[in-house]
Parts: sequence; structure tokens; C-alpha cells
Amino acid sequence: MNFFQQLGTLFSTPRYWEMLMKGLGTTLMISVFAAIIGLVLGTLVAMVSIAKKSRAMAVPKFICNFYVTIIRGTPMALQLFIMVFVIFAIRGFPRELTAIIAFGINSGAYVAENIRAGILSVDIGQTEACRALGLSSTKTMTKVVIPQAIKNVIPAIGNELIALIKETSIVYMFGIYDLTMVATIIGGGNEMSSYLVPMCVAALFYLGIVYLLTFFISLIEKRLRASDKR
Amino acid sequence: MISVRNIYKSFGDLKVLKGVSTEIQQGERVVIIGPSGSGKSTMLRCMNLLEEPTYGEVWVENSLLTPIDPYLHFDVIKLSNTYKSLFSQLVAEGKSEDVAENEAIAKIKADDLLKKNEGKEYKLAIKSLEKENRIDINLARQNMGMVFQHFNLFNNLTVIQNLMLAPVELKLKTKEEAEAEAMKLLKRIGLEDKRDEYPSKLSGGQKQRIAIVRALAMNPKVMLFDEPTSALDPEMVGEVLDLIKELANEGMTMVIVTHEMGFAREVGTRVLFMDEGIIAEEGTPSQLFDNPQNERTQRFLKAVL
Ligand SMILES: Nc1ncnc2c1ncn2[C@@H]1O[C@H](COP(=O)(O)OP(=O)(O)OP(=O)(O)O)[C@@H](O)[C@H]1O
Ligand SMILES: [Mg+2]
Repeated sequence: MNFFQQLGTLFSTPRYWEMLMKGLGTTLMISVFAAIIGLVLGTLVAMVSIAKKSRAMAVPKFICNFYVTIIRGTPMALQLFIMVFVIFAIRGFPRELTAIIAFGINSGAYVAENIRAGILSVDIGQTEACRALGLSSTKTMTKVVIPQAIKNVIPAIGNELIALIKETSIVYMFGIYDLTMVATIIGGGNEMSSYLVPMCVAALFYLGIVYLLTFFISLIEKRLRASDKR
Repeated sequence: MISVRNIYKSFGDLKVLKGVSTEIQQGERVVIIGPSGSGKSTMLRCMNLLEEPTYGEVWVENSLLTPIDPYLHFDVIKLSNTYKSLFSQLVAEGKSEDVAENEAIAKIKADDLLKKNEGKEYKLAIKSLEKENRIDINLARQNMGMVFQHFNLFNNLTVIQNLMLAPVELKLKTKEEAEAEAMKLLKRIGLEDKRDEYPSKLSGGQKQRIAIVRALAMNPKVMLFDEPTSALDPEMVGEVLDLIKELANEGMTMVIVTHEMGFAREVGTRVLFMDEGIIAEEGTPSQLFDNPQNERTQRFLKAVL
């Protein structure tokens, strides 16, 4: 069988289709929930790390700093390994859930850094002008600083989400039935007995997701720019 | 109107203000001049607490903005444990009570002897003074307009939104009232056609004039200017100075940090010369510019005039 015959077989076998869709579903599920955790966690951590230094904030600040340093300083595969085989090494605990938590925690650290950098990139003069008019620090944040920071942050967050989706492919090493896993199963089966075609198809799926995401992000960016022609 | 009492300010080890005191009366136009790094901006920013003084107090219309500085209140010092032990020690050495009192206070002030914990009475005295006098800083700032060297218009808002943000958010005016007032101010500076532009589309002079009317939209009782023309191209300096002169003629109380000596002399009712963190000399414009007493003032004026 040549490449195109194999491609034909892959697409004309309903069982393969089902497997691919199921794998795609798992990949999307892990990515979406991890992204949600990452965005929420990242925003919280960013808020703590830009808060003014004070005695009450000392411990939270230390924890956040520690978290970001550890997560960004160690490989994702290792973090996942520790989650699966140490922290959530409970019989019957769903591995997909472990993966969601691990990726969520991981992307939270990157999101936090992106948001922090985005907020710090807004000129301090903007804050001073707000405060000098008598506006509270909350109003200053919500009316002036965050709207300006978002523009700097959206592209970086988009990149982070794209990296996240692609990186979830390592979950196949832990027996999770994601897109990459499906491709290896199909490729290793007797009918196909070649990895080339299923891997290419899986790659196309990833590419498709990333393309869609990129499209939406550029749409958001455009809308933000429209409301503020800087 | 504004009372600055014995202000010290350090950034880390760098001592920027070393005991500055002054009173700004209603209707006065105080101009602050001095060499770069002498602490002019820091002093101005302490007046609305954009910088928090390390020691000293700032009062605005009889309300306290900073925490109480115990060193400025003898009756508070006298309640401290340090004073009590020092006093009884001096009395035991055979000094009269009056002498002991003066010496103890003088020593505490000179050697910065007050500690964090000076006993309950002392703490209560400070608390009650603050409760009586201290005002919410956001409230105080509503009455003090500030104009910055780099304009600091809100980049995410249009010109009219820049003018309306604070009055509306602080619920001082309805949207309609704020908009009407903003249009009136924009007309005054001849920029009503820029109402829906974003700041990035404006020239420096336009930005600064809008920044000034943004502050005016709050109906402030005093305006603080920090080198309002230093970031402008020379051909735009005039339009901004003219607007400030207009405000001066209307009787607005102002504190102006500037390097424009001609302007300082023209609008100022009083000039402060700052050098190395203190007010080295002050007087009317003609006193200070025509007949400076301090040798450092003379040197500075020679260099800039
Ligand atoms: N936030 C800060 N952190 C550290 N140092 C500061 C800070 N603000 C000011 N300084 C320092 O304090 C000193 C006095 O600054 P300030 O801005 O008050 O001077 P200035 O008289 O306004 O000078 P210029 O004419 O250049 O504006 C300078 O040496 C400056 O570097
Ligand atoms: Mg300055």
C-alpha cells in the first residue's frame, strides 16, 4: 500500500474515524479544562504578585513566587510524571483528571507571568494620574490599567494556549487515549502497519485546532484595537 | 491650604528631602525652582501623597493626609515610655522639671529615640489624633489637581472620556453633567473638535492642555504642576504657559515646579529655591531673582538665566 492508499483506508474505516474523534475529544477536553484552570490560577497569582508589599501579603507572595519558579523551571513531562505516580497515585483516580490538573497548574504559572508582565508594561504615569484624581486603586486597575494591559497580554496568552494544546500530546505516555495515542494505535495495527499516515493525520488535526485558535485570537486583538486606535 | 511640616523622604539610602516645611495659602502661586535632583518633584508629590513622606506631616485644609508624626507633637512625645524614663533620669540627676522636660524632648528629637512600641497611652494619643484629623486620601485628592511632565492622559480613553472618568466614577456628576462640563472645558481651550480622538493622535501641547482641563473637571481647590512644559517642543510651550497664566489670573491656588524662569517670575507670588533636599531660600520673585541672598541660589540663577 502506498501513502494515498493508506490514507484512503484510514478515512474509509469507520472504526478508525471513531478512534480519531475520541482521541481528538480527549485532547480538546484536557486542553480546554487545563486552560480554564490556568487562566483562573494565573490571574490570581498575577494579582498577588503585583500587589503592594505588606506584611499580610508576604506569605502569599512567597508562595506564588515559589510556584512560578518551580513550574517554569522544570520540564512538563516530569511534572506530569510526579502528578500521576506520586500525588494522584490513587487507584481508580482518572488519569485524564490528573492530566487536566497538571496542565492547568503548569499553564497557570506561564499565564501569571504573562499577565504580570502585561500589567507592569503599562506606564506608571497612568496609575499616578488616576490616583491623583482621587480614584481608588481598584477603579484605577479596572478602568485604566487592565484595559491597557489586556492588549499586551492577549497575544502572549494565545501563544501559551497554543503551546498547551500541543504539549498535551505527552499524555499518551501515561496511557491516556488522546489524539497522539490514537495515532500510535492505528499505526501499530495490522491493517496499517505504518505510522506515517496516522501521524500525519493527527498532525493535521493539531494544526487545525491551532489555526482556529490563532484565528479567534487575531479576531479578539482586532476588536480590542478597534476600540482604541493607538 | 496646604501645610507641609518637616518632611523627610528617603528612597532606600538616598535622602531626597531633609526637613522641608512650608505653608501654601489660598490664592498663592508658589513656584519651586532648583537644580535637577534637588527634590522638587518629590516635594510636590508628597503634597498629594503620590510619595509617602518618611517623616513629617502633610495637611490640606486642616485635614491630615499622612500618619501622625509624633516628633511634631510634644504632648505625644511626653506620653512615650522613652520620655518618661529619660525625664525621671534627668530629674534624679538633680535637674528641675522644666529643664528636664526640655532636655528630654530635645534629646529624643535629636537622636530619633522613639520606638515602635512606646506604651499604651502613647499609642492611644496617636490614634485619637489621627481619628480626629486624618482624611481619606482619595477624598483629599479630589480637591487637588495634578499636572505631570509627561501628561499621562489615559491612553485607552478618548479625550472626552479622559475628562469624564473621575467625576463620573466618583459619582460627583452624572454622565450628562460631566459631559457638558467637559465640553465647556474643551471649548475653552479650543479643542472641542478633538473630543473623540485618542491621546496618541494629539500634539504634546494639546495633550498637556487637555491634562490641565482634566484636572479642572474636578473643580480642584489647588493645582499642582510638575514641570508642565519640560516635555514639550519649544513651539508648544507658549500655549500651555498661557493656559496656566489664565488660571492664575482667575485666582487658582497653584504650586508649580518649573525650569521656565521667566514664567516663574511672571506668575509666581512666592518662589522657593530648593537645593539638596531643603528649601535653601524663599521670597517674592523680585527678591529671589533680583537679589538672591544664598550663595547657592546665586550660582543656580547665574547658570540658568
Ligand atoms: N521613586 C524613586 N526611587 C528612587 N529614587 C528616586 C525616586 N524618585 C526620585 N528619586 C531620586 O530622588 C532625587 C530627587 O528627585 P526629584 O525628582 O524630586 O528631583 P527634581 O528636583 O524634581 O529633579 P528634576 O529637576 O530633574 O526633575 C533624584 O536623585 C532621584 O533620582
Ligand atoms: Mg522633577
